[in-house]
Amino acid sequence: MTVKLLNTNQIMRQVSYALALGIGAQVYFFGLSVFIQIFLACITGLITEALFLRLRGSEIKPAIIDGSVVLTAILLAISIPSIAPWWIIVLGVSFAVIFGKQIFGGLGNNPFNPAMLGYAFLLISYPMQMTQWPADYLSMSQAVDVIFGLSNIDGLTGATSLDHLKTQLTMGISIQELELNSISQLWINIGFLLGGIYLLLRRIIFWQIPVSLLLGVVVMSTALFLVDSDQFASSLFHLVNGATMLAAFFIATDPVSASTTPSGRLIYGFLIGILIVIIRVFGGYPDAVAFAVLLLNITVPLIDFYTQPKVFGK
Amino acid sequence: MLKYKYNGGLKLDNPYPINEIDLIRIPLPDKVVLPMQQRIGNQAIPIVSVGERVLTGQIIATIDDQRCAPVHASISGTVVAIDEHVYAHKSGLKGLCVTIESDGKDEWVDTSIGCTEHYENCTANTIYNKIRVSGIVGMGGAGFPTHTKVRLAEGCHTLIVNATECEPGITCDAALMEAYPTKVIRGVEVLLYICKAERAIVAIEDDKQDAIKALKKFCNNENITIEVMPTKYTSGAEKLLLKSLLGIEVPTGKFASDVGVLCQNVGTVVAMFDAVVENRPLISRAVTVAGSAVKESKNFQVRLGASYDYLLSFVDIKEGSHKISMNGLMMGIELDSTNYSVSKNTNCVFIDQLEESKPTKECIRCGLCNTVCPVDLLPQELYWYSKSKNIDKAVEYNLLDCIECNCCSYVCPSQIPLVNYYQHSKALYKQQVKEKQQTENARERFEFRELRLERNKRERAEMMEAKKIALKEKMAKDKAQKAVIEAALERVNTAKSAQGSQDDG
Repeated sequence: MTVKLLNTNQIMRQVSYALALGIGAQVYFFGLSVFIQIFLACITGLITEALFLRLRGSEIKPAIIDGSVVLTAILLAISIPSIAPWWIIVLGVSFAVIFGKQIFGGLGNNPFNPAMLGYAFLLISYPMQMTQWPADYLSMSQAVDVIFGLSNIDGLTGATSLDHLKTQLTMGISIQELELNSISQLWINIGFLLGGIYLLLRRIIFWQIPVSLLLGVVVMSTALFLVDSDQFASSLFHLVNGATMLAAFFIATDPVSASTTPSGRLIYGFLIGILIVIIRVFGGYPDAVAFAVLLLNITVPLIDFYTQPKVFGK
Repeated sequence: MLKYKYNGGLKLDNPYPINEIDLIRIPLPDKVVLPMQQRIGNQAIPIVSVGERVLTGQIIATIDDQRCAPVHASISGTVVAIDEHVYAHKSGLKGLCVTIESDGKDEWVDTSIGCTEHYENCTANTIYNKIRVSGIVGMGGAGFPTHTKVRLAEGCHTLIVNATECEPGITCDAALMEAYPTKVIRGVEVLLYICKAERAIVAIEDDKQDAIKALKKFCNNENITIEVMPTKYTSGAEKLLLKSLLGIEVPTGKFASDVGVLCQNVGTVVAMFDAVVENRPLISRAVTVAGSAVKESKNFQVRLGASYDYLLSFVDIKEGSHKISMNGLMMGIELDSTNYSVSKNTNCVFIDQLEESKPTKECIRCGLCNTVCPVDLLPQELYWYSKSKNIDKAVEYNLLDCIECNCCSYVCPSQIPLVNYYQHSKALYKQQVKEKQQTENARERFEFRELRLERNKRERAEMMEAKKIALKEKMAKDKAQKAVIEAALERVNTAKSAQGSQDDG
């Protein structure tokens, strides 16, 4: 193989750049509030990381410039609703950095995906703020007002397609009667898909996790769809709604908390895909990426142990 | 193209390309320093003394160890010292060396001993002996005595000649093949004759087109095939070469000879040809001198024991601070100076411009390392357990199968010197095994002592018991005897008194 070798800092930076298309789509549909969230997240992340490194008595500069904390911050910022109040992201990122990463010894030692740990913490603690997405494009001033609590949020929010599906189905309406096609969700997912393909081509991520994860989503949703197409949405719906593409290419592929053997990655990705659909359909929360990823993070040592490749001569 | 391949490995460009590969013979050095310690085994014992005049090709040290070969004087002159020098080895340890000052005449000793006629008129044993007394060892870097290796592989079906050049940047084998293609082919024939293999494969990488052409031109033996392989790093490792050529995977802990294959480096084949056919012991070798600080990389045929400084005086070296290393960029070792001498397994000396070392980052388990590992290990797991000194777990993840090729360290985005960790862990493991053995021995000794004391006690008790019984018996017997005597006395007394009363009466 002749590939230009990247160092760890460059890898982190490349992953951040690859998010640009998806973020662009979010900005196009929801407004510049997305940038406010990212900005808040990065500042919080850097300050928390620096403080904690100081407490741990380790060197601050190399850890700050390695780009990992910025990547975690961006991932969390684009996962939460863009009009969530400022303290949501500040709290979430601090939690992610402290309890998701630094408490285990910093980069490379965390068993869980820090961004998803932060997300799960926020979703469980503040379910209301975490499920109110903007119904429409918000101007900068509107966004500032909403995020910093200067004006009331009412009338600006709407349900996401996953949320909508869940509430309508419980009211006994069949899928065919629902208007489910969310153009914003579609484009955001396409944005992340393209970014992911870039990472694959640059060989920054391996193909196993994204491919098996998407396959897991398709297999599980198709199985349910075949059982009852009135009650369960199609695979296409699951692929282009919620954080499916973000999870497949950017979240489940976090190398530190993912399985590290070639066949282990296939199992890991596939099971996340299956779990995403199961939790979406049968769970209490609309989206399921964070829980699916965290659950599989726990199983990584086991998967890695049983999927060791055959060693030469053994 | 090859039918088989192994996983992993790296396609690396030659960092120091040479336009025209040439083997340059350099003048005799004024002085040579010959180490007595070889790659493995015990130190050879000098059989010359200071002040003695020696001739080129004369044996100056020997040892009765199948893992070692005798040492020859590589120039004629006077032995000026037999003392300790630091070896060109990672350990930086000192060892005994014989220093010879040249008289400039290069006068040869009569080396026509052993098999002096055509080799086909000699028995394999005679040729083995000839190879041994000529001091031939593996020239690819392993330095294992050739006679022992060939003897171990007796009855093999295939002979593989490793002409892949183990690492990028080294071109001494290519230079040797271009300079002496007939010696290579004839040498292979000699080897085929003694190891009795049916066929020989000369494995050569496709970046050495001139050498391939030269060999093909002179090879008219139908039992010898010239196999051109894609250039990939670690193909030169014996077991991987075997896998790519024959599809055979040598099991862990076994050797090529166990699957009926003999593997020899091309330099060794040439040295063996010189010894068996031309009666010339191993006194010189081809060495590549290259590096980013060397203006033009060159290959030299140089006498063993010549100093690196002498070798380097034949190339132009750029100003500045240098990094000196030998035996390659990937698996070689870094040296602190050029104050060393060429030995039988020195295939290259690299002088590089000193670069700022890149800072090491944490491992992010990206797994790039396991895609390049030629023996399919999980370097990231080995690193994890080595770092935390969890040696047992690292061994469970097959630490001991690591061939230390450094492919993983090369691609690591966090620039972690992975192989250093593995070497450290291996050393710790060895220590652990040794200590375990020692405790085991101590326990056995202790238990035996306990057993012995117990046995002594028991034996003594038994003896006492026996004595007691014997005493009792004796006493009883004495008593009985006493009674008998007493009874007799009684009778006598009665008789006496009866007589007395009769006499009286």
